[in-house]
This record gives sequence, C-alpha cells and structure tokens, in this order.
Amino acid sequence: MLDFKIFGPLSPQIVSTLIVVSVLALFFIIIGFRVSKLKATDTPKGIVLVVVSFFEIIRNLIGEQLQGKKLKLFGPYLFTILVFLMTANTIALFGLKAPLSNAGVALAFSIITLFLLRFADLKYKGVKKKVHNIVIGHVWWMFPIMIPINLIGEISTPVTMGIRLFGNLVSGAVISAMVYAALNWAAGIFAGVFLHVIFDIFFGVIQAFVFFMLSLVNLSMAADSS
Amino acid sequence: MFDTIFAAILRFATEYNEFFSNGMRYLGAGIAVVAGIGPGIGQGYAAGKAAEAVGRQPEAQGKIIMTTMVTAALAETTGLYGLLVALILIFG
Repeated sequence: MLDFKIFGPLSPQIVSTLIVVSVLALFFIIIGFRVSKLKATDTPKGIVLVVVSFFEIIRNLIGEQLQGKKLKLFGPYLFTILVFLMTANTIALFGLKAPLSNAGVALAFSIITLFLLRFADLKYKGVKKKVHNIVIGHVWWMFPIMIPINLIGEISTPVTMGIRLFGNLVSGAVISAMVYAALNWAAGIFAGVFLHVIFDIFFGVIQAFVFFMLSLVNLSMAADSS
Repeated sequence: MFDTIFAAILRFATEYNEFFSNGMRYLGAGIAVVAGIGPGIGQGYAAGKAAEAVGRQPEAQGKIIMTTMVTAALAETTGLYGLLVALILIFG
C-alpha cells in the first residue's frame, strides 16, 4: 500500500497513471482539432457539444474568483487537474488500479500545489508584504506565537489536500480487496456493483471536485494583490 | 498497591515477545477508528442545516445539495486520518 519505487520496476498505480494520461491527451487533442475547424456560426454536434458545454460551466465557475490575465494563466491548470482527477478516481471500474491509492502520486499533487501557491504569492504580493503578513499579522504583539503557526499553516494546506485524496482512495481499494477475497466470483459481481458505485463514482467524483475548489479558493486568496 | 504495579511491569518486561506486540498493534488500530465520532457529528449538523435551508426556500434545492456535498466532504478529513493510522498499523 505504501510502496513507491523510484528505481526498478514500476508499481501498478504508476502504470495506471501513464495509461490515463496518454488516453486523455489523445482524446483532447482530437477534440481540439475538431473545435478549431468550426467556424463562428456553426453549432457543434455530438461529443464536441458535450465537451464544450462542460468547459463553459467550469469556466464560469473559475471566472467568479479569477479575472482577466489570472484566468488565462491559471485556468488551464485547474481544468486539467479536475478532468485528470475525475478520470483517475473512476478508472478502477475498468480493471486498472486507482492511481491515487499510491502515496507517491498523492504526494506529487501536494508538492505541485505547494509550489503553485508560493509562486502566486511571490508574483502578486512581493516578498516584503508576504513576510509582513507572516510576522506581524493583525495583532502585532502576539508575534512569538503567530510566527510558527503561520509558517506551519503555509505548508499544511497542500499536504492536507493530498492526504484527503489518498485516504479516500486507499480505503476504497482495501475494502474492495477484502470483500472480493471473502466471496466467490458470482456473489462478488453483485457486491461489486454496490462497492464501486459508492466508493469509486460517488466519493471519487466528489473528492476530485473538492480538490479543484480548494485549489481555486487558495489560489484566488494568494493572488489577491490588495 | 505499588507491589502489584511493580509485579505487573516486571511480568510485562519478561514476557515481551512478538505475539504481544502484534496483539497491541491490532488493539491500537481498533482504538484509532474512534476518531470517526467527529465527522459523524459535524456532517450530521451540516445535513440538518441543509434540510432547514431547503425547507425555507425549495426552489434552490440543486445548489443547496451541491454545497452540502462539498462541505461535508471537507469535514471528513480528520476522520480519514484515524482510518489511515489504523490501516498503517494493520498492514505495515
């Protein structure tokens, strides 16, 4: 459960990640070609219509928090992680192992979010104002206690986001493995329907959406140059 | 009274072997899941407030349900920490 190998043969969850990334890249490159061939007065049909309407909903959701140049800079990254997480959490329905049930993949998401938030801090607020926020804050005479608390709070938010994903997915994988080992193959199909609907579809999609919303809100707070 | 406590500690120190440590691991894993009380109370409170809001304004039911799901999933994190500790104790 807790193995991630850097050198040596790849763990099954990393192989799942590579398969998901290549399938999604191929799908969206084909959709992009079809969208770029539309003229401005055509209506899209079929699968392009589904993707375009989904994209419009997400862009309106992001546009409430980020405007203008920030939307162009951070919008594609947020849409990408939403689609990747929604696919990666439900890929257990197709027989592969869920990528996020490996501690290394969840930690990778935490590190990416940590670097993104600190980059947005330094770009939109500058070093002086950031240090002022950490050290002085709102009540200036409590700074011996507030400095460690603020510093830990900077790191702990992305780490919590990654561990939330990891915990949900690994509990689903462990309970599925235990139930499948206890039943024979015929009863396993009936039990598998309930298990996969609850753990993969319901929890997986909701946790992906929660990760996306938390990234969006933290990013808009960090990039708020007021 | 201190005699019995010393006798218990001496007996624990002489009888410490692998079966005892495995048993204590499983006992700790069971106690760790008691942390599930927190999300139970918190998410139940959130669901109650959501039902009250739907009763007050039935047209906004879709948005209220979506907001309830997202905030309940947020409050579930600390219960998951307890489950993670229990899984690490049992399987590794």
